[in-house]
Amino acid sequence: MAAEGLPCEFDVVILGTGLVESVVAAACSRVGQRVLHLDRRSYYAANWASFTFNGLLDWIQRRQEPPPQPDELQDWSSLLEEGEELIYLCNADSSSVSNVQVFSFTREEEESVSPPSTTEEEEAAAAAEVEEAEEETTQSTDIKEKESKEETFNEEDDGQAAGVDGEEHEAPPPDNQSRKKVSYSELLDKGRRFNIDLVSKLMFSRGSLIDLLIKSNVSRYAEFKNVSRILTCRHGNVEQVPCSRADVFGSRQLSVVEKRKLMRFLTSVVEETEQQTAYSGRPYLDFLCEQQLGDNLQHFLLHSIAMVTEDTPTEEGLASTRHFLRCLGRYGNTPFLFPVYGLGEIPQCFCRMSAVFGGIYCLRHTVHCLLLDKSNNRCKAVIDSRGQRISCSHFVVEEGYVATERKKVVTPTRSISRAVLITDASVLPAHSDQQVSLVTVPPVAAGAPVVKMVELCSSTMTCIPGTYLVHLTCQSVGSAYEDLSPVVTRMFNTPESHDQETCPSVLWCLYFNMVDGSGVQVQGHDLPPNVYVCSGPDGGLGHEHAVTQAESIFRNILPDEEFCPPAPNPEDIIYDGDSAPSTGEEEKQGEEKGEEEAGQSERGEGTGVEEVGQSESGEE
Amino acid sequence: MAIRELKVCLLGDTGVGKSSIVCRFVQDRFDHNISPTIGASFLTKTVPCGNELHKFLIWDTAGQERFHSLAPMYYRGSAAAVIVYDITKLDSFQTLKKWVKELKEHGPEDIVVAIAGNKNDLGDIREVPMKEAKEFAESIAAIFIETSARHAVNIEELFQKISKQIPPLENPEVDSNESFQLSRQPASSSRRCC
Repeated sequence: MAAEGLPCEFDVVILGTGLVESVVAAACSRVGQRVLHLDRRSYYAANWASFTFNGLLDWIQRRQEPPPQPDELQDWSSLLEEGEELIYLCNADSSSVSNVQVFSFTREEEESVSPPSTTEEEEAAAAAEVEEAEEETTQSTDIKEKESKEETFNEEDDGQAAGVDGEEHEAPPPDNQSRKKVSYSELLDKGRRFNIDLVSKLMFSRGSLIDLLIKSNVSRYAEFKNVSRILTCRHGNVEQVPCSRADVFGSRQLSVVEKRKLMRFLTSVVEETEQQTAYSGRPYLDFLCEQQLGDNLQHFLLHSIAMVTEDTPTEEGLASTRHFLRCLGRYGNTPFLFPVYGLGEIPQCFCRMSAVFGGIYCLRHTVHCLLLDKSNNRCKAVIDSRGQRISCSHFVVEEGYVATERKKVVTPTRSISRAVLITDASVLPAHSDQQVSLVTVPPVAAGAPVVKMVELCSSTMTCIPGTYLVHLTCQSVGSAYEDLSPVVTRMFNTPESHDQETCPSVLWCLYFNMVDGSGVQVQGHDLPPNVYVCSGPDGGLGHEHAVTQAESIFRNILPDEEFCPPAPNPEDIIYDGDSAPSTGEEEKQGEEKGEEEAGQSERGEGTGVEEVGQSESGEE
Repeated sequence: MAIRELKVCLLGDTGVGKSSIVCRFVQDRFDHNISPTIGASFLTKTVPCGNELHKFLIWDTAGQERFHSLAPMYYRGSAAAVIVYDITKLDSFQTLKKWVKELKEHGPEDIVVAIAGNKNDLGDIREVPMKEAKEFAESIAAIFIETSARHAVNIEELFQKISKQIPPLENPEVDSNESFQLSRQPASSSRRCC
């Protein structure tokens, strides 16, 4: 570990590397603030992180361990000076994730391909019900874990060990079936090629995050893919939602009359009409019914285009429909983009921007307490995990580090239910197996949540070839398992599903709940006014909440500065040639100005296809 | 001639001369005091190689290595990595293994690795024998070269060697949904569709 000490004076100290904190870090460094950015964890992006398969197993394991002893509050009062008071922080990570459950349905290589036995099925079901699930590492490694159950953890080890035994047979066994079966050991062996996000969101192509990435030039650190299609689940079938003009006309499922109706509706909805205002306050569904579009179209428009529920008011439904349409055609056939290597890249990209502008980064390092200046009630310094006093003018902190009793949270706390599946086929096979799909799943039963599902193919670099990574998300009604397993059972082949041999098989899945960050405000907590609280991920599909919050924190800190002005392009930096000579240390890190032979493209890394953005006019 | 963009990431302990090597390669200059806060995301230089042009996009650690906090995104899509040590500091050579391991963990699988023993103008206070370093490089099938950013020794050669090791461009599979970069473009915000 770094023996080197940290500098002891900064303008802004930031604790936590989630999206909001990282954007604030980049924004502050960019305009010349001295930023120290810390995270207690060993990885970037907090609850926005993505993990390799093995990394995710570690993460799961840590959720299962008993919560770390609140480090005996070390007494730092010796560091206090006259007129100062301590405010202790707490460990992040403690409470934001709950109900972690893991199931593995992979087969041992040796095993012949046979349908899962009833015992396994029962075991899986039983495991889900009973908290004290016994170890069942017979054929499928069947793991059920609850937070704070230590023994269950060994169970998982057994499961892994069982998988590793088969390691020798790395090459897939001869196919008796059309689909190749991926074994657990293969998941482990190639685990580093997975990038599994804790959060599942998409980027609206005209959303605030894409705008910010482009505006700040942070976008050059990442590559993106179009979400290639929007699907929906209707009457138990998965169908493609036609949303662009090309889709509508190319659709085989729509009749000519429907095509015309849909086009007319999409064109008309852009302008506000009297008819629309007349429906203000009444459900959007009523408005859609009035248009006599038919069940088919109504379903698409409500669930997949507006992405609202049956009782959403018309004005809200129209607003989301318009947002959807505005985002269409900027980059591709759908309004959404997804970053290659997963969403966890995005906070890292902002952190790099901060570092490039002098921000200092230190993981596995935290702040134990704040020093309050009693004369003006401001936080004047922090004490880090090594007992070093670091002065700062502003302190930005991830919500999880703020002690509960100091936090004001909207109650009741909302939470997000998440499921992550590794499957062996797409929910809707198409001519290309490299599709990125958003699947909207209306409630499976009255009172059940609306589920959003994102299916990622291997070229997004989030899973290995031959598999798909499927993220399910909804606002929690019950536990993640209760909310999402009915959808999983219905749309996939698991030991619990019946007669679904044709559906994609689930190889491995994870359920968990995460606190919905939308209930946390930047200020208004029992904290000094120059301390800003950043929320974790919210349940929305886009990133508007996080970006808005980051910008508002920045405006509080630096009201007169521009938020994330573009970083210069490498080729545009003029080298002035007279940086101050001084002490001869040959190198400090950081990057030097670059003068570059002119006339080359201004792009950043990568070999990807150049920007597609000019196809503005294409749609609707 | 076709231009191929190749991302190269630099690794190595703080102070071994990573930035100086890039600075020498790209601008052919040497600075005793490189300011960390200039804000270049990466530097680029294009060199011919066979019938291709290789445009190196050279990423510096931006100091994130200092407290062992390099982000995995730093390695994404790199065609090559240059691990730098200082021939006058044994420590910096001993940590090479750690960087190699880190690269194995986070770097692309087919990455070209080069090991550069920098500051070879300071041979009189050398702590790392060239033979030992060379053997280590061979053991991991890495390129090995000693350089001096200060005296412009072997800097061009380092990148030439990398160029030669870059596998020829395969015919990219036709993927209708290829990844791309976003870039600023004047028209983007000017009008909406419909």
